[in-house]
Amino acid sequence: MWWLATFTENPPVAVLPYKTPHRRRIITERRNIMKKTYRLLFIAVMALICLAAAAPALAQSKMVVAQDTPPRMMNPHGDDSDAGLSYMANFFDGLLQRKGAQGELLPGLAVKWDHPDLLTWRFFLRKGVTFHNGNAFNAADVKFTFERLVDPEVSEFTNTGKQIESVEIIDDYTVAIKTKMPIPWFANNMHQVFIMDKESTESRDPGDVMVKPIGTGAYMLNEWVKGSYIRMKANPDYWEGAPPVDTVEVRPITESSTRFAALVSGQVDIVTGVPVELYDKIVNNPKLTVVSRPARRSIFLGIGNKPGTPTADIRVRKAMYMAINEDEIIEKIMRGHAAPAAQVPDPPTIGYNPDIERLPYNPAAARELLAEAGYADGFDITLTGPNDRYVQDAKIAEAVARYLAKVGIRVELDVKPKSVFFPEVTKGILDFYLIGWFDGTFDMGRTYFKLAHTRDEEKGMGVFNGAAFSDPDIDRLLESTADIVDPAQREKTLQALNKMAMVDKIVWIPLHYQEDLYAIQKGKGIQFQPRPDRWMVYKEISR
Amino acid sequence: MGTYILRRLIQGVVVILVASMFCFVIFQYMGDPALNMVGQYASFEEIREVREMLGLDQPIYVQYLKFIWNALHGNFGKSYVTRVPALGLILERFPATFELVTVAVLLAFFTGVSLGVLVSLKPYAMRNRFIMALSLGGVSIPTFLIGIVLIMIFAAYLGLLPAFGRGDTIQVGFWRTGFLTISGLRHLILPAVTLAMYQLAVLLRLTRAGMREVLTEEYIKTAWAKGLPPRKVIFKHALRNVMIPVVTMTGLQFGELIAFSIVTETIFQWPGMGNLLLTSIYEGDQPVIVTYIMLAALIIITANIVVDILYAVINPRIRYD
Amino acid sequence: MTERRIKSRMLYSYLHDPSAILGSVILVLILLAAITASWITPQNPYDLEAVSLDYFLVPPVWMEGGHAPFILGTDDQGRCIFSTIVYGCRTSLIVGFSVVLIAGSVGVVLGLLAGYYGGRLDAVIMRIADTLYSFSTTLLAFLFLGIFGKGSVFIVIIAICIAGWVKYGRTMRGSVLGIKQEAYIMAARATGARDLRILIRHLLPNAIPPLFVIVAVDLGVVITLEATLSFLGVGVPLTEPSLGMMVAIGKNYIYAGMWWMIVFPGAALVLLVVGINLFADWLREELNPKIERQ
Repeated sequence: MWWLATFTENPPVAVLPYKTPHRRRIITERRNIMKKTYRLLFIAVMALICLAAAAPALAQSKMVVAQDTPPRMMNPHGDDSDAGLSYMANFFDGLLQRKGAQGELLPGLAVKWDHPDLLTWRFFLRKGVTFHNGNAFNAADVKFTFERLVDPEVSEFTNTGKQIESVEIIDDYTVAIKTKMPIPWFANNMHQVFIMDKESTESRDPGDVMVKPIGTGAYMLNEWVKGSYIRMKANPDYWEGAPPVDTVEVRPITESSTRFAALVSGQVDIVTGVPVELYDKIVNNPKLTVVSRPARRSIFLGIGNKPGTPTADIRVRKAMYMAINEDEIIEKIMRGHAAPAAQVPDPPTIGYNPDIERLPYNPAAARELLAEAGYADGFDITLTGPNDRYVQDAKIAEAVARYLAKVGIRVELDVKPKSVFFPEVTKGILDFYLIGWFDGTFDMGRTYFKLAHTRDEEKGMGVFNGAAFSDPDIDRLLESTADIVDPAQREKTLQALNKMAMVDKIVWIPLHYQEDLYAIQKGKGIQFQPRPDRWMVYKEISR
Repeated sequence: MGTYILRRLIQGVVVILVASMFCFVIFQYMGDPALNMVGQYASFEEIREVREMLGLDQPIYVQYLKFIWNALHGNFGKSYVTRVPALGLILERFPATFELVTVAVLLAFFTGVSLGVLVSLKPYAMRNRFIMALSLGGVSIPTFLIGIVLIMIFAAYLGLLPAFGRGDTIQVGFWRTGFLTISGLRHLILPAVTLAMYQLAVLLRLTRAGMREVLTEEYIKTAWAKGLPPRKVIFKHALRNVMIPVVTMTGLQFGELIAFSIVTETIFQWPGMGNLLLTSIYEGDQPVIVTYIMLAALIIITANIVVDILYAVINPRIRYD
Repeated sequence: MTERRIKSRMLYSYLHDPSAILGSVILVLILLAAITASWITPQNPYDLEAVSLDYFLVPPVWMEGGHAPFILGTDDQGRCIFSTIVYGCRTSLIVGFSVVLIAGSVGVVLGLLAGYYGGRLDAVIMRIADTLYSFSTTLLAFLFLGIFGKGSVFIVIIAICIAGWVKYGRTMRGSVLGIKQEAYIMAARATGARDLRILIRHLLPNAIPPLFVIVAVDLGVVITLEATLSFLGVGVPLTEPSLGMMVAIGKNYIYAGMWWMIVFPGAALVLLVVGINLFADWLREELNPKIERQ
């Protein structure tokens, strides 16, 4: 700000904290001549800045949001992560949708659906819906969408796509989807599969499909400047009625302290993913409010039980469980923004068993158990984990390593970016790792097949069983649930499975459920109810 | 000289090829892109299919040759993360980095040289200590620290300048510029200053050292004796000779900064090429990484060839056999 | 001038230049602290057992909530800031000296060969230099991280050396190119002296002086580079933070008002590099033959 000091004798107080007379009087001859020009220029610039600052006050129904992850593409099937789907939910609709604090499954582009036999799912489509480009929505678009899912070039939903045997158009507004095998949770997934317009997707260049979304959603894409912002405008012809907020600008800011700065400086109205260490600062700020809800994601540690390794002995696994002071982790690392978990699924999920309790923190007992198992001198093990995926993931892993060190287990910490970590998990070569999970279908069955079942390449099971944990009892019970469709029966069996896994077998060491933290500007009348899946669906937010 | 330049160009091409080959070898150890593309619930078979689709199941040399063949047709592969052409993705971000680096280099050049001249004129003035201390700081304080401190002061405590992003930008043809909006210009200040600090200090010292050398030369003393006005002596005679190494250094820095301004772009979330490189590394986006390396190699090799030629032209004692 | 007189003149100017002395004093102090690290620090911050969350985010001892022996406070894992700074300086110095030694030796040898023999060898060496130089060291560090699985000081050193020898090589080559045509070299060749002898006895001693300055400056540059890599997370492992990583950890707490986690490590880093640069500046003045002396 040195040039300001050269213009006036009394620079505005707000600009300089104190006068620095000796600084920057170092001006070469040429610049002395230009001072006058600069002065005029400066006045003009200041005037424009004032104008620019006044401008935002004019646009009334506008909202600026800072999200923690940027969108990768505007192709709704290309990214199946929550962050990606969160953006897509604004431009597109699925046959069904989830709303409300419990994520209730409601009609979307389908007004009704039924399940005539084990393999068939029928959807009755909504009439009079148009895409953003004016095309009418009908069964042909649904068929096109589901058939597109199997193409790995454009879709990450290949798993869902491969489950489908056929998509039959019964009439313009009725579709029947047949699956290859009975899949009890099939409809539960329909809120994540977004319907695309057959005509425009086929006729456009694939690159264009990746950057311009044409859907039926509540918002239309106005402008996407990669790395900077996404501007969307309300769709006045939306079938649910035009959304309350007219324009939404989303600014993806990955750096948490920068997001915080944006919020504090008033540049954004809502911020997602508030860093836990800044929670107190926001709560004490009269202009800001924190909105929180328990997350569905649970964080836990996976351990292997390969014969011959120390962790094959259940006493060792129990000792490791009891050596970790989870309460302290929640208090000091998560700053109180987590709830202790005793199992992997969360309360709303089918299979959650309220009778399972955490083992208490007891390092002395842990040492005893280790001695009993023959490891009085401890042993060496490597703890692997991501450092850019979950809230405080690397720090949690570090703390766990410390706790184990104190009972004699020498831990080597190996944290790495998720793009390197997750492939290692799918290879099943880890000994001990930190991971998080939540299942969008609210049914524990699918999760357990991926996480707990013995690795089986052919049948595609245990893909995320990172330590290759294997137990025939668990496998058997799990496989028996595949045929059970009756929800009450499923619940009972899955609960029993859950108990076996956590109490009898200690497949995992559960840590906690994260908390989703958002912050909003007070006094702007923003009504915001966080969703359980962390999606930011702007038609649900008003001001 | 003509054959020399031709030879350098051919060698440049070889360098680019070797660099990309090296990348491919390293990618074998860098995690599995197929996994990152299939979604969380994919089965082993689906992962294998994607791997086949991407051509990752073939031996390295086959993959590499295919890549080079495609590259010769302008196709550098599609980004694994965003599924758009890799080259386009990088070039899209070129304006952002270019504008930032240009402003930073101009700032560093004019400020550094002016201060350097100032300091060399009166070797024992009081202000010299201060300026030299400033240059010492500029050279010693790491860029990331400068960036963080500037953010702390100007954005966090004073709330004067924006701490991240590029602000509002306007698309002029294929070039997205931040120069035409107030917001864009304001967002440019802190990152440009951060980036410029080190170069500024280096140029300052270089100019000072050069000036001190030159001012003791015979022809300068002649000019003083002839009674030429000081401005002419300094700028027209002395500075001109010092400018040669200074300008070449600036040119080299420019090339390097365009290729590697990762740290500043990360701290300020500047949507430029360096930021893209870092996120691509974290996401394991191999086509983008390889394309970027090749582009960076091209920029640096060109800069080096230009500089080497300039040196030979200026200093007749240097001969390239 | 004879060598003895040059040396004694250097010593004289050294003793009378306050910034040179200041720089060396800083360096020596930090060096001593790094060597005696385990004796002067209350805690070994790299030892998983010694650190616990009991005392985390404690402010410096003179502020409210401070707790001796954590003079400068603790970070969010309970590590004593002072201890971590001392150990961090040790890491920085180890990396700095190792790289300068290795990269310097490699660069000098290759530069000598390239400059003297010219032709094909020169082209090959210089093209290799271009290739390695076009790999950002950050990218290399990350790629190594992907290959080896976990970061370590050793990997950082190798990563920096790969592109780090280039400046020594190029400077050496430039020097040799300039000297190659001089009379005494031609004379040596005319008398049939073997190449190796010419390289070592004639070229090396005359081409090396500019390299001393580069070594001194490069030490600072390498230390800064290591700090930057650690700041980005591709340097030292998480459980053995160096100064750069401490800044990365601390920057998330600036807004929360916990300034000690970033100010002290940042100051230590700057102090270290400033000390090096003060000494390097003096060296550059001394060895520069063109400036008129008082």
